[in-house]
Amino acid sequence: MSNPNKNNYIRVCDIEKYYGNASNVTKAIDRVSFHVEKGEFVGVMGASGSGKTTLLNVLATIDRVTAGHIYYEDTDITEMNEDKLSDFRKKNLGFVFQEYNLLDTLTIEENIVLALTLQDRGKKEIQEESTRMLKLLRIEDIRDKFPYQVSGGQKQRCACARALVNHPKLLLADEPTGALDSRSAQTLLETFTDLNRNMGATILMVTHDAFSASYCSRILFLKDGKIFHELVRGDAPGRSFLQDILDVLSLTGGELSDAR
Amino acid sequence: MLAKLGFRNMKRSMRDYTVYMLTMTLITALMYAFNSLIFQNELIKQLETDSIMEMMIGFATFFIMLIVVWLIHYMVRFMLEKRSGEFGIYLLLGMKKRTISRLYMQENLLLGGVSFLAGILLGILLQQVLMTVMFAMVRMEYRLHISFHKGTILMTTLCYGGCFLLALLRCRRKFKKMSIQSLMNARRQNEEIREKNEEVKRILFPLSVIFILMFWRWFGGLESTEETLVFLTGLVLTIYLFYIGISAWIICYVRGKGEGIYRGQNLFLLRQFASKIRTMQFTMGTLTALFTLALMGASIALMFSEYENTVLDDKFPFDIQIWSGDTENDFAEEKKVIEENAKVREYFAYHIYTDEENRVNTFALTHTKNYGTIFWAEDGSPDSVKIKNFLQNQNVYYEYDTYMGISDYNHLRKMLGYREVRLNPDEFLVQVKPRLAEEFQEICGDMEIWGAQKGDYLKCAGVCGDSFSQDGHNGADYVIVVPDTVIKRMKPYYLELAVKVSGGVSKDLRKKLDALLRQEDLPFAENPGLEDLYEDGNFLRCGSDNIINYAVENLVRDNLIPEVKYMLASLIIPLFYIGLVFVCVAVTVLSVQQLSDSAKYRYRYDVLAKLGLERGQINRLILKQLSAYYLCPALLAVIISGKMILYASRIFVEMTGVPASPVKFFARSILLFFSIYLVYFMVTYVSFKRNVEEKIAGK
Repeated sequence: MSNPNKNNYIRVCDIEKYYGNASNVTKAIDRVSFHVEKGEFVGVMGASGSGKTTLLNVLATIDRVTAGHIYYEDTDITEMNEDKLSDFRKKNLGFVFQEYNLLDTLTIEENIVLALTLQDRGKKEIQEESTRMLKLLRIEDIRDKFPYQVSGGQKQRCACARALVNHPKLLLADEPTGALDSRSAQTLLETFTDLNRNMGATILMVTHDAFSASYCSRILFLKDGKIFHELVRGDAPGRSFLQDILDVLSLTGGELSDAR
Repeated sequence: MLAKLGFRNMKRSMRDYTVYMLTMTLITALMYAFNSLIFQNELIKQLETDSIMEMMIGFATFFIMLIVVWLIHYMVRFMLEKRSGEFGIYLLLGMKKRTISRLYMQENLLLGGVSFLAGILLGILLQQVLMTVMFAMVRMEYRLHISFHKGTILMTTLCYGGCFLLALLRCRRKFKKMSIQSLMNARRQNEEIREKNEEVKRILFPLSVIFILMFWRWFGGLESTEETLVFLTGLVLTIYLFYIGISAWIICYVRGKGEGIYRGQNLFLLRQFASKIRTMQFTMGTLTALFTLALMGASIALMFSEYENTVLDDKFPFDIQIWSGDTENDFAEEKKVIEENAKVREYFAYHIYTDEENRVNTFALTHTKNYGTIFWAEDGSPDSVKIKNFLQNQNVYYEYDTYMGISDYNHLRKMLGYREVRLNPDEFLVQVKPRLAEEFQEICGDMEIWGAQKGDYLKCAGVCGDSFSQDGHNGADYVIVVPDTVIKRMKPYYLELAVKVSGGVSKDLRKKLDALLRQEDLPFAENPGLEDLYEDGNFLRCGSDNIINYAVENLVRDNLIPEVKYMLASLIIPLFYIGLVFVCVAVTVLSVQQLSDSAKYRYRYDVLAKLGLERGQINRLILKQLSAYYLCPALLAVIISGKMILYASRIFVEMTGVPASPVKFFARSILLFFSIYLVYFMVTYVSFKRNVEEKIAGK
């Protein structure tokens, strides 16, 4: 499934994840393999219970696989201990979640600053970096506001800024538009595309919204823990790619749209 | 179905509010144990003494109830807020408000009932401990026996139930005002950090620091009631405004992008701390006040207990000692009573003499810390009119100086097992209370005491500070010991009988001896209408001891020590009682707040984990956060109470002669306080960590 023209940036090799006990086992992920190239914007779609959040969690090093390996370039994260994982997470991953997960006691700017201070940067560098991100995500004018004082879209852009400020190898987004109105959702997705194209950010986004997914360059469809289809955007314009996605979804009996 | 729901909810609350339940159990146990002192006080029967213990415990109970009502009310409201989403769903399902409120009351009563029963059981044990301690205090043996008393249980139930009802009634009103919308929303509400005029509010922080510094500087020098009132009002205000100030200060610091926020997790910690303090500023102030009171109570209790353990034993060096204003008294009646009640080994009757001058009295009134400059005239000389007036009308010093012959003195020293002293014919010796020994050193330079003949003066041979029964018996505060040749020219002032007995004396010997006192010999206090009888000035004076003072004609050591100890216990025990309850209540509020936050806001730590903090780092962060939160009110309370305690203990040490440094009481009460604190802190830290780890691991 990999594109031979580019380096394999992230390699997921035959991973499995089981939940439950000896008498009752649920296979959340069942022998999944795929590659992500550097600078790709990959979407993962699937109905509730298809295993997409589990997949995201194991990629995010929050959860561990039962079998198989995940390589970030040459590093196998399935072999790391907890401390190394924290360190790895700090240096290589960025997160954006449906519920924003901003710290409510900090202002928008401070939420970004915090991510930098945890990396022990100098004051000047931190200020420059955070200001740059605030500008980049167009939230400079609300930098001194608290999360409860700004809109959902602004919160989510702040979460993106925080996720990207440390230049992660991979940005993981879990239903980032889930709590946004359609206007904000569109702005955010445009931001993602922009970050992907102009900053070269590698993004993996989990969603069950076809419109969101249409911004991705490639989409993996998950069902019952397995990848059952893959769509590559190529040069197709957004609208026809969206139609392709909807076609795939209708093949599965519309389960995905029902899940919405 | 409803009962089942209530029961289930209670079970869940029990898990969430373990700390609260522990405290309620502890408070019930303390209430039971201390109430038993009112109803089952076996010591009173043993001592055959009047008791103010009941009154003191009753008094303490009043304050404790106030604070327990506050705690329950606080907790009930707190739980209500936390569970408002759930109640909103009940309403949505069509349950009536009345039903829900009843359900909630039921739950709380169940929760309270469980704590109450556990508390009573613990209380019965605690009561035994308390009785053993009290019996040990008065040096008697207590045989453990567990018994129930209707009164004790009834009073504990009434107090506890009363607290609950009061607290719950207030909550009912809150229920009435609720709507589905507000209930459902309440759950989702996060703490909204309202930042307004922080630059202005910030000033409160340095202001309160300045006030506290002023308080430290001037507290000891306050003279009038008005000044003290102004200061105390300022103090209460300071306690509350301090928290507004400190959170504003931190907010401004963070906003101003101070250097510190760019290091490690400081930004998170500072913001977290500031927002918590801001939302809880009033509660924090109240907690500080509670801690301050608890520390003060414990310190005062420790002072009296120190007194009891050190000074008291030396207060009555003779087995029996009797004072008589009649210098011709043969003590025949007294001896008869004593012989009926004890085995006498030796009687020794002797006179205290006077030269009808008051130079030594003048010295004592003008040279000791007790009186400062009260008796100085404007030109710096002693104010003789004021002094004369004071000596005639107050029962501190005898009207004239008191003297004793060296042979009587040595005989008494022998009775007490002290080394005899030698005095040359041209020397005198000053025997004072231990606490005054140092202040009286100066007398050697100043005092001119005539020898056997007018004109030749005696030299001072020194000042002796052995315990010598100087609360009016062997002089009030002091007696001047002179050669027998000198004493001959003086006039007998009053008569003393010192008795040495072997074995114990009967418990009511002192009462029997007191019964022999003629009406006019009774001490002032028991005879308010008889002041005219004292016109001749012939009555017992008790010296300058303050705070604890016994001016009694008949001293029977084995009767008095337990009595005094019991009296002191009546003061010490309620103070400890109040202190303990206050600390427990305050720490409970702190703990419950933090624990519920750890559940409500655990996503914060989850976010930090995603940002790459290791578990160890998160644990350290929690430790720092909890420490700051716990230490803040405690430190403020230590600083504020410190001044008052040090001041009070310095006076206590001066007035009573307890051989201890004033810092000791303060240090000990802090130790006591922080050990309780530490227990709650550890419990909170462990549960906090568990709550947060559940979330991180559960993801």
